[in-house]
Amino acid sequence: MNKKWMTVLVTAMAGMMAVTACGGKGGNNGIDGDGPYPLSLVINQVGEIPDPNNPIEEKIREYTDTDLRIQWIPYSAYDEKINVMIASDELPKLMKLNYTPTTISSLEAGLFWDITSQLKDYPNLTAQPQPYYDNISVNGKVYGVPLFRDMGRAIVSFRKDWLDAAGLKEPVTLDDWYEIIRYSTEEDPDKNGKRDTYGMMLDKAYNQGTASTLTRLAVSQGAPNKWGIDEQGNFYPEFESEPFFDVLKLFRRLYEEKLINQDFAVVDSSELNKVYESGRANIRISGGNGQSLQTKLEKVVPDAVIDVAPLQGPDGIRVPGESGNTGFLAIPKSTVASEEELDRVLAFVDKLLEPEMVNLINKGVEGVHYKVEGDFTVTIDAEKDAQEVKPYRDSLPQRGELYNMEKKAKGTELFNKNKQIVYNNENFIVANPALTLNSATYNERGGELEQIITDAQTKFIMGQIDEAGWKAEVEKWRKSGGDQMAAEYKASYESVK
Amino acid sequence: MRQDRSWGNRLFDLLNHTVLFLVAIVCVLPFVYVLAVSFASPAEVARGGLILWPKQWSMVSYQYIFSSDTLPRSLLVSVYITVVGTLINLAFTSLMAYPLSKPRLRGRNPILLGVLITMLFSGGMIPTYFVVNGLNLTNTLWSLMIPSAISAFNLIVLKNFFQQIPDGLEDSAKIDGCNDLGVLLRIVLPLSLPAMATFGLFYAVAHWNTFFNAILYINDNEKWPIQVMLREIVILAQSRVGDSGFDETDVQPLTIRMAVIVFATVPILLVYPFLQKHFAKGVMLGSVKG
Amino acid sequence: MRSNQAVAAAGFQGKRELRLQRRKLLLRDLVRDRWMYLMLLPGVLYFIVFKYVPMYGVTMAFQDYKPYLGFFESPWVGFKHFERFFSETHFWTLFRNTIVLALYNLIFFFPLPIVLALMLNELRRERFKRFVQTLIYIPHFVSWVVVVGIFYMLFTTENGIVNELLYRLTGEKIAFLLEKDWFRTMIVSQTIWKEVGWGTVIFLAALAGVDMQQYEAARIDGANRWRQLWHITLPAIRSTIIILLILRLGNFLDSGFEQIFLMITPTNREVSEVFDTYVYTKGMTQAQYSYSAAVGLFKSFIGLILVLGSNWLAKRFGEEGVY
Repeated sequence: MNKKWMTVLVTAMAGMMAVTACGGKGGNNGIDGDGPYPLSLVINQVGEIPDPNNPIEEKIREYTDTDLRIQWIPYSAYDEKINVMIASDELPKLMKLNYTPTTISSLEAGLFWDITSQLKDYPNLTAQPQPYYDNISVNGKVYGVPLFRDMGRAIVSFRKDWLDAAGLKEPVTLDDWYEIIRYSTEEDPDKNGKRDTYGMMLDKAYNQGTASTLTRLAVSQGAPNKWGIDEQGNFYPEFESEPFFDVLKLFRRLYEEKLINQDFAVVDSSELNKVYESGRANIRISGGNGQSLQTKLEKVVPDAVIDVAPLQGPDGIRVPGESGNTGFLAIPKSTVASEEELDRVLAFVDKLLEPEMVNLINKGVEGVHYKVEGDFTVTIDAEKDAQEVKPYRDSLPQRGELYNMEKKAKGTELFNKNKQIVYNNENFIVANPALTLNSATYNERGGELEQIITDAQTKFIMGQIDEAGWKAEVEKWRKSGGDQMAAEYKASYESVK
Repeated sequence: MRQDRSWGNRLFDLLNHTVLFLVAIVCVLPFVYVLAVSFASPAEVARGGLILWPKQWSMVSYQYIFSSDTLPRSLLVSVYITVVGTLINLAFTSLMAYPLSKPRLRGRNPILLGVLITMLFSGGMIPTYFVVNGLNLTNTLWSLMIPSAISAFNLIVLKNFFQQIPDGLEDSAKIDGCNDLGVLLRIVLPLSLPAMATFGLFYAVAHWNTFFNAILYINDNEKWPIQVMLREIVILAQSRVGDSGFDETDVQPLTIRMAVIVFATVPILLVYPFLQKHFAKGVMLGSVKG
Repeated sequence: MRSNQAVAAAGFQGKRELRLQRRKLLLRDLVRDRWMYLMLLPGVLYFIVFKYVPMYGVTMAFQDYKPYLGFFESPWVGFKHFERFFSETHFWTLFRNTIVLALYNLIFFFPLPIVLALMLNELRRERFKRFVQTLIYIPHFVSWVVVVGIFYMLFTTENGIVNELLYRLTGEKIAFLLEKDWFRTMIVSQTIWKEVGWGTVIFLAALAGVDMQQYEAARIDGANRWRQLWHITLPAIRSTIIILLILRLGNFLDSGFEQIFLMITPTNREVSEVFDTYVYTKGMTQAQYSYSAAVGLFKSFIGLILVLGSNWLAKRFGEEGVY
């Protein structure tokens, strides 16, 4: 009885496995046939999912002579979905990847086309600045086309009306920062008789990722961006540099004197935005455009004036360089089998950067989404733009007005000033030298190591540990793998060079 | 009904009512806030503060929801998988739970142990995907219903409920010539309406909250349920601000986010009041024995 | 000698007969319950196809799994991930934090839905009862992000409502969200607020099964409300309570990642870091599929031991248990 059962079970399971293990799909690669080339594309969903037959997508299909089919995948499960796609070998012809150790290992394993040598054949792809490609390269090879984004987005925004009233200027030194923050907290800049304002507020991500306020401020004062290289060619982390520690000490002082919010270690940035937008906080470093803060603030405090300034220190403008992409489009080898077909896919991406497509992707259809006013274009309906154009603008490669855009979008003075600063920042970038370097320790334990330091920073600011305690935590970081990581980066740096 | 009118009893009743009333208020307040913000004008919300009753009513947020058919369509998808899925769940679960409620059944314990183990150990996302894909369920709404046809937890608890029905009732039905299936359908299920309503609710809520499997199994955006949209618009919007990848302008205004929450939650909230009549006391035995 | 053999032969025959008898009995039972087995079939098939066929996925814990290599080609590494996990410097801290949090939830949360259900059961006015029932299960549908947001607004030291009150009364503020001594209290309170009403649903269903005639009989005997509660109501839902307790022990070490992740701060980490959040931090830079699978397997084994142990205990006390 038992044996029979087992046999049945095993057979059933084996049958199941046979059915499930193979998902082999033949199918027309469309290269030799007539008609448009069928192109499947997997990208992130941004807000609403547009109707696949909407005019923008139809125009892309028509212009590029492809039968483009976009599959939008929400952020909440993007990595898992990609993981399943790879495991079940159901990949599209073009897909968005993020530059993470996990994807890097699939790139190294040869799942995607190395397009380093092909790029020069495509006029628009080759016209983009090399750093954008460098930042997505793996062992010196490029595996895709970046979804471009500005590299120096960090900007200082502040209440100009408050600063003018106090006779203060935009900050350069840490003393300037301190004075602005102290004034706006203690001297009732909104003149309501209550101490209910803050000069600056921090959220719980103040020291994390590329948007780290701590790093941005430290870089402006002369610290390296995440990692520095000394004269001997050794790598050292940002928090071992003098300017970085000065900023840390400034934050500690601000906390102690109750000049920044006391709950910064728990507060979410969305809560913080509410305070800034209601006119109860002054200065902040962010990656957005000051105009959006101005628009929201005006509804609450009609005569509030926001101004923006570049991030600068005693040595002038210094901005931490970011990766310059929100991911990149890569081409799987399993679906794009031949070099011929690869050419077809790359030609498609190249065409997206031609003027007509750049306009379409950025602004939508003339008369529907935007209209032309002299030398500028104007969005007709912001909501319609967000629903119908934004998904393409955010998920397809384009560089806005920096490449092939015929007419600039009309914006307010503040909006344009902010944009100009960000473009200008590109000349003052402090790059993170470790961005594309290899470190096994980082891959294995990067998260834990970072946590040792970010926790210690918070505790130091809050006065829970003193300078000796901070040094001890840094020592712990070094011993737990930090030193090894620095050595691995050095080795990787020298091998690439 | 009330026979004991002693002092202590009245005091207890008073206390009981008060405590429960307070608990109910504490539970519902945040939802009132969500509701109020969704109907408030964006300007009022911008001023900040706690809103429990909007001063200026506005339907702008709801107009936004209906301005494209994405959200209404995904709501219909959710309703569909919830209704059909729950019916499948109840059929499969009660069919399996009933035999397992009979200790005399041979092979019962190994099966129950086998079910229990699936609560603790699972093969994980990818092997399950292979099975669902191998059965050609991917890209259909069945992939959101069939692979979750029985919840081991609900099965075991329902089995326990069935077990408490006195055998006498079933035996008399058997003498009348019913087979076991007939007994289940004619005697056991009618007697277990509170239990069926409860597990129906559990299953319905689970279906309503489906989002991960939908993204995993279904490529066609038009077949995504409302929770996928809700998470995109509301939950991620919050954690995304300040993240390196996004600007603040990416986030929908608070009023719209709250309206989407209302839109995606109210339908499932209405299920329970509807089922409540089955929770009336004494349905089970009083009605049959009498 | 002969007689001995005869006895042996008879014994042998007896055994054979017994076996035959048993087989006959089995056959009789199988035939008698043929409908039952037929009814079991769809469910059993379901569990085999959707739960047991994919079970080969647990091998991931013993491999260095890579999505592009799959289950059949990823390299085998034996117990490497388990060894790594058990030799983590924080292992015992994590173990303690996870267990303490689970115990807090078990002691402070688990009984509350029962109490609430019993309180609701004492209500005579049906409309008020339904009103309360409908409202208290709403928080279940509020996502953790929102719950944590609400708690922030209540308990933060920057204009948090609770702290403002506290300040007016005592002149001091308490950093509920930062101090490690408050962490577990906050977590359990959130869980209570979000899930207590939802938890009553199943007990209300169990209570609906109580025979009203029993109460009437008790009342005639002069039993007061407490005695009715003790002798009729509680026994009626006892087996449901026990089953739920046993099943709860199965995922004893699951801490509810989303909630804790949102509540962790550098200042409370020494009590708030649990297995689930630690695995997440580990995998932040590189998805460590195999490592998290190994931790999951470890948690499942502990759960299995707890479930089987408690089930055995329940049966020893004459309860039904899971099986």
